[in-house]
Amino acid sequence: MNKNKICDSEERRIHRLVNFKLPNHWKKIGWGLFFLSLGLLLLNRFVDVNHAIFKTILKNIILVGLLIITISKEKIEDELVENLRSKAFSFAFIIGVVYVLIQPLINYLVFLIVKPQNANYEDLGDFQILWFLLIVYLTAFWFLKRRNQ
Amino acid sequence: MKNTLKVERAILNLTQDELAQKIGVSRQTINSIETNRYVPSTLLALKLSALFDKPVNEFFKIEEND
Repeated sequence: MNKNKICDSEERRIHRLVNFKLPNHWKKIGWGLFFLSLGLLLLNRFVDVNHAIFKTILKNIILVGLLIITISKEKIEDELVENLRSKAFSFAFIIGVVYVLIQPLINYLVFLIVKPQNANYEDLGDFQILWFLLIVYLTAFWFLKRRNQ
Repeated sequence: MKNTLKVERAILNLTQDELAQKIGVSRQTINSIETNRYVPSTLLALKLSALFDKPVNEFFKIEEND
């Protein structure tokens, strides 16, 4: 296989992945999973049943829910929507990187100033980063859609 | 870039929604083009051209700062 053929096949693979979208009704399923897991996670905090695995699973379901919403089609998925999607993705990516760079510094400064009792300085977890990325993407996409109503 | 999409639409007596359905996009897309917030793809411009039965550069005009 020559170089061009390899590049073509890689390009097709990227396009297939980028263009993959779930049907519109999946959005409701995504929101359902998101709110259900968020509700259970909040409830868990009040009930104070501290199951680490239970919490991790719920956090993962929250991320899956948000990912489903992210890759679900709009009612009419046309070129404007595609355009707004890519703008929102770029925005979320840049803000995400800035967040990852700045947030630990802010956390550390707050930790130094406040010095909470019985608390250790914690770095950013993968859930926090992914959750932030997906929420920023969805908010930016929603805002851009509203601007184009 | 400016356009006279609104005028062309009025000539054919179409609403934004009707025009959107004819070329397979959402009403928001038509509105965004008319208010100069979105520059459509060549494909969409050609679809509009076929519908209005006019060349694209009759209803899309390049401005000096483009």
